[in-house]
Amino acid sequence: MISIPTIDLKNITKTFEEGYVLAVDDISLKIDDGDYVFLLGPSGCGKTTTLRIIAGLETPTHGEVFIDGKNIKGIPPEDRDMGFIFQHFEIFEHMTVWKNVTFGLEMRGYNEDYILEKAEKTLKLVGLLEYADNYPSIFGDPGLQKLGIARAIAIGAKILIMDEPLGSLDPKVSKVFRHEFRNLIKDLGLTAIQVTHNQEQAMAVADKIIVMRAGKILQMGTPYDLYEDPESIFVANFLGETNFLQGFVLKLLENEEMKVWLRLGGPQIICNNLNKKFKLDNNVIIGLRFEDLYIFPKDYPFDSSFYDWSNLQFFQAKLDSSRFIGATKRFYLSLDNGDKFLVVKPGNFEENFIQGDNLIIGIHKDDIHIFEAPKDLLHEISLT
Amino acid sequence: MVNITLKNISKSFKEQVALKNISLEIKDKEYFIILGPTGSGKTTLVKVIAGLVKPDSGEVLFDNKDMTNKPPLERNLGFMFENYALFPHMTIYNNIAYSARVHARDPEITHNIVEQMLLMTLLTGRNDALPEEMSGGMKQRVALCRALMNLEQTKLLILDEPLKALDAGLRMSLRRDLLQMAKSKLLELSVIHITNEENEAMMVADRIAVINHGKLIQVGTPYEIYYQPKTLFVANFMSEINYFEGIGRKNKELSWDIHKKSNQGDIFFEKIHKESIPLPIEIEENITFVSCVQKELYNSITEKDKILLVIRANHMKIRLGNRIDEKHNAITGKISRRKFMGVFYRFEVIINFNDKEKVIIVTIPATSEIHDTFLEDLNVTIYFPKELGIVFMHPGKDEIDKVLRLE
Repeated sequence: MISIPTIDLKNITKTFEEGYVLAVDDISLKIDDGDYVFLLGPSGCGKTTTLRIIAGLETPTHGEVFIDGKNIKGIPPEDRDMGFIFQHFEIFEHMTVWKNVTFGLEMRGYNEDYILEKAEKTLKLVGLLEYADNYPSIFGDPGLQKLGIARAIAIGAKILIMDEPLGSLDPKVSKVFRHEFRNLIKDLGLTAIQVTHNQEQAMAVADKIIVMRAGKILQMGTPYDLYEDPESIFVANFLGETNFLQGFVLKLLENEEMKVWLRLGGPQIICNNLNKKFKLDNNVIIGLRFEDLYIFPKDYPFDSSFYDWSNLQFFQAKLDSSRFIGATKRFYLSLDNGDKFLVVKPGNFEENFIQGDNLIIGIHKDDIHIFEAPKDLLHEISLT
Repeated sequence: MVNITLKNISKSFKEQVALKNISLEIKDKEYFIILGPTGSGKTTLVKVIAGLVKPDSGEVLFDNKDMTNKPPLERNLGFMFENYALFPHMTIYNNIAYSARVHARDPEITHNIVEQMLLMTLLTGRNDALPEEMSGGMKQRVALCRALMNLEQTKLLILDEPLKALDAGLRMSLRRDLLQMAKSKLLELSVIHITNEENEAMMVADRIAVINHGKLIQVGTPYEIYYQPKTLFVANFMSEINYFEGIGRKNKELSWDIHKKSNQGDIFFEKIHKESIPLPIEIEENITFVSCVQKELYNSITEKDKILLVIRANHMKIRLGNRIDEKHNAITGKISRRKFMGVFYRFEVIINFNDKEKVIIVTIPATSEIHDTFLEDLNVTIYFPKELGIVFMHPGKDEIDKVLRLE
């Protein structure tokens, strides 16, 4: 059986101001039932417009939106089986928690028994039943967001549309609550689409991430896929922390490998060259995730080590400084050619390095991300 | 040069207490972070230092000189508050270079510093833009640059949530550069920087002051704040934590030698707990964990006291299967949820002791092995080294709930 995606966008374009502003540029995407999907990108990338098109709050200039296989052109937002949760909650403050949930059901003309049963069940699901008789003012923001979910699912919403729902929370509260929020949405079996510019949040919560920039989709996939195989410098830089070093292809090797010489007489590094994509003398950018690099003292006994390091390649660097930041430690290093880079290790990584030490840096070939050199690296790694 | 001393500062606005008896010393050329949740009194505190708010009681000293009643102008400091106040008719470059020109600084040095700051804040090439052509994030960056330039004589800079309005990614890269900037030989700054994000604090601070509800809870280096938090609030604010309630059993015999050092990272653990003693803590009738406890606290614990054992999520370790015989401080459970978060994997593990279910959070560096083998529904053993336990006197159930909900 071929499963039909819950949400299917086909060649959506949206322009504003009579075509002068291109907000969304011919994008297509599918969202499966039960997935928690993030639209992620810098301000002005088109993510909010895309979300509003799915919700029916904007009409696309071109293209079509299908929900459960049905073209929903002309169907108003309230009839799309969707619940909306925004940063500035639209909770009725003058109504009790109970009334907030039953209101939508009453408006839809359900009978009393149904409403009673449904509201009770819903509030129980989100863990707010004991507060039914209270007014929403007793809640902090997390409680209000749960009430928002309760209201949405009470009226049968299977899709949640969320615009930075945790955006107004204190960062610490949001870091704790986001896991509870995700667990609740997953347990309720809802499909959810959330907009954010906070990549850390997206990585922590999403099943799938759609990275947008300048109205286009750059890449979509699971956080793991995007993190492990970023297709562009922008994505590699936007999700996680990556060192970018410039070099050129010095030599093509067998087995779809090549030797890259980092600029100005930096180290030579063997990289994958899958499908023989790169040619001799091509300018390339090497992306090294901070945490993928290994770090050893200059006199490390590789031969007598308990671990097998034979699959790493090594180069030298000088330690400029280091910093303990709790869960991790950060090492600031520089190469002979003056290029600076960073290595991240767990917070209890044992070392006795001092500033100015020459260290040995190790990297596994498969952990090297390699990109064509762009015209303007600074533009590619700028986060806008 | 400026050393700042605060003595018993209190401040209320009408009935609302903003600051309660705060005493604090900030040293010359120190990068000092004031960390706390929204509404904890951070901004009021720096306004007292800047002279924008007069304390109800207490003294503010700059280099031992009483400044309590001196107006802001005489305190010679640069600050960047949340509204940027850029000159609308000046370009980015001129906005930043303005104060240096007013103070007739060497044009070449000024130019170098401005260029360095434009590069750091990714504004290079936008020199000629006017404020009205900029996004909020860009304006904030310009204001930050300008505040950094706006320093004469005292070399004290106050930053009130300087990175707040920025996209998360840019915030990360700016944090990387901020400390370097403050420590640069050209500027030699003392910085007081307010934030509500623990990561930001850890990334740049020489020392951190944690405040909550207008009270100073702890001052220390990132290392001290992280490994020796004074209260549950501080412990919880710095990372996700797990906690167990129990009773200290000083004389309890265990099947393993608790005085033996852990075989991994001896130097590291020694640094954390120089003067600590391992304490067996009975969690349940048949479950006893051991945690190192600071000598002073150890001595005050009796068998009548309920205590709280806290273990940071990233200090828990996890192995597949039942390894309870091989590991100390171990308990078995089942992975109920797992989530890839980039550098880390986050696991929720359900443990079951004496028919009570409890969820333990474990975060570990992400590797392909973890990705392929640590799957949901698998049985696992979780454990922690005794050196990484944090012990408090039990603050009461209500207090625990309040702290964990960050109220």
